[in-house]
Amino acid sequence: MNDSKRKELVFFGKITAGITHEIKNVLAIIQESTGLMEDILAVTPDEAFPHKDKFHTSLKRILGQIDRGVNVTTRLNRFAHSPDHSPASLDLNEIAEQMVLLASRFANLKHVVLKSSPSDPPLVIKSDPVYLEMALFESIEILLNVTGSGGKITLSPRKIQNKCVVGVGCEDTVLSEEDCLAKITSSERWASLQGTMAYLGGTAKAFGLAPEILLYLPDAINPK
Amino acid sequence: MDRMKILLVDDEHEFVTTLAERLELRNMKVSIAMDGETALGIVERDPPQAVVLDVMMPGLNGLEVLEKIKALDPKIQVILLTGHGATKDGIRGMQLGAFDYLIKPIDIDELIEKLNEAVKRMI
Repeated sequence: MNDSKRKELVFFGKITAGITHEIKNVLAIIQESTGLMEDILAVTPDEAFPHKDKFHTSLKRILGQIDRGVNVTTRLNRFAHSPDHSPASLDLNEIAEQMVLLASRFANLKHVVLKSSPSDPPLVIKSDPVYLEMALFESIEILLNVTGSGGKITLSPRKIQNKCVVGVGCEDTVLSEEDCLAKITSSERWASLQGTMAYLGGTAKAFGLAPEILLYLPDAINPK
Repeated sequence: MDRMKILLVDDEHEFVTTLAERLELRNMKVSIAMDGETALGIVERDPPQAVVLDVMMPGLNGLEVLEKIKALDPKIQVILLTGHGATKDGIRGMQLGAFDYLIKPIDIDELIEKLNEAVKRMI
């Protein structure tokens, strides 16, 4: 990535990260206000407030949504900081979990569940965060066109023959092995993924049976 | 038992006033300040046992305020509030003498636990 492209990404990231802090402040105020209502309800006798249970249920629901909002903005904040440093030390479990959360909306639209299956021990590589996130997202997009409604896509970092790999696999496809492989490798996204992986110094391989894309990643990227 | 004396410092008015109300409901004596200069004035006039201090504030930032509080009275315990992605501020704060740091939005029970621990250390 050239310097001017990185400068643009850092700019977008900085503004986005700043806004996530503002959203967090909003969520913090809603959380404290909700908490205060709960505190007051707790000291209010049941007979003095006949709708107490309904209020408790609603407040609990609001707190649940605050947690959800905090989780999403935290991930968005980390994502926005991705262009800050390259190469950077990256925990593949963290990156996989992050992409699951950030790409869930796209999967939900197709009624597909995204999840990650962490490696133990965690695998840490030196790579370009933006390009690695792009590679994972492109793989997810490719498989969203292979798996059917109700399917599941799993991101699983692991070692294969001593190499760091992130597997992006799906279940519940109705296609045959050949059709599946053809659908993966003939898509425009597949060509784009090849370019992304070349930048990272790695390769992407596709398998049609139990459809999976394996992203082979070097331990350290060559500085560009 | 004496009420715990706390100073809350955050430039978000709604946040700081609501949190103060919640802590007062738990029998704490709470003062609030929305900037570092006001906070330092309160620390000089009516020293609290512990300060809950936001790191990201206009004017003097939380780490600068922390250093000044510690210079005024090293016994006062400070708990920093940081945002996600700003963990390094929390760690830097602890190097400067903060008791601990919490990430916003905070859990009230966790804050109270930290305040109790902090005040015990002061004694």
